Amino acid sequence: MSRLSRWLAPTTVVRAHCDLPCGVYDPEQARIEAESVFRLQEKYQGNEDPVYRARAIHIKEERAELVKHHLDVLWHDYFKPEHLEAVPNLHDLFWNANKAASKAKASVDPADGKALLSAIDEIDAAWKKTGGPEKTRVAGRPG
Amino acid sequence: MAADEPRRTTGLSRFRGPWRVVVAEASMLPSIAPGDWLLVDPTVTRWPRRGSVVVVREPVSGELAIKRVAGRRGDQVPFADGYLILAEDEAWLLADADEERTRAAGFGPPIDSRTYGPVPVEQLVGRVWFRYAPLRRVGRIRRADDATR
Repeated sequence: MSRLSRWLAPTTVVRAHCDLPCGVYDPEQARIEAESVFRLQEKYQGNEDPVYRARAIHIKEERAELVKHHLDVLWHDYFKPEHLEAVPNLHDLFWNANKAASKAKASVDPADGKALLSAIDEIDAAWKKTGGPEKTRVAGRPG
Repeated sequence: MAADEPRRTTGLSRFRGPWRVVVAEASMLPSIAPGDWLLVDPTVTRWPRRGSVVVVREPVSGELAIKRVAGRRGDQVPFADGYLILAEDEAWLLADADEERTRAAGFGPPIDSRTYGPVPVEQLVGRVWFRYAPLRRVGRIRRADDATR
C-alpha cells in the first residue's frame, strides 16, 4: 500500500452483517444432552439426599436448556423450506420436541426424558431423510 | 421533520467520529461491497430519512454495523406473524442484499431488524454519504427510492 492510501485508509470497520453458519448440523448434539437429562432424572429417583437431588435438578435443567438451543439451531439453520416436501410434518416434529424438552426440564420423571429422546429420534430420521449425514458432517456421520 | 423528534444525546463526543469506515461482509450488496471505503457524517443526532444508509451500534452484538433505514417512527413494519408500529425514537434497519446474494458471497442470511427488531436512536453512529474507494466506484451513496422498498 502506498503512503497516500495508507494515510487515507479507514481504521474503523463496519459490518454489513451476515450470519456465518459453519454448516455442521446433527441431531446427535441435542440427543446427547437429552440423554444427560434422562440419566439425571434416573439418578434423582435413586437418591434421597436433598443436596444430591438439588444438584441433579440444577444440572438437568442446564442440559435441557442446551437441548432446546441445539434443536432451534437445527430447525432455523439446517432445515430449509424445500425440506418440507420430504418431511411435511417437520414443524410439528420440532414443536413437539421443544415441548418435550420444556416438560423434561421441569420434571424429575424419567418417562419425560424418554419422551424427549424419542421426539429427537424422529427429528434424526428427518435429518437423515434430507441427506443430513452426507451434507453436514465433515466425513459423513461417524458410524 | 418535526422539531420534537427524539435525538441521541452524545453531545460533542460525536465529533470524534468515525468519519471514515471500511466495510466488512456482504449484506449491503450490490450498492455497498466488502472493502469499500466510506465517508460518514457522525454529527447526525436523528434518524435520517428512509432509504438513507447509516452506521449503527448493533443491538445484541454491540458491533458497528451498516444498514439502510427502511422505517421511521410511526411506520408499520411486518414482524413475526403480525406487524408492529415503530416508537418515536426507533428505526427499522434492513440489509440491501437478500439471502440468495449473501449466499453467493459465501455468507449466511443477512442480519438486520428482522433478526434484532427496531433500533433506538441512541444506537445511531452516523450517516454514510460518500464512497472514496475503490476509484472506479467513487461517488455519493444515494438514498434508495422509497417506492422500491
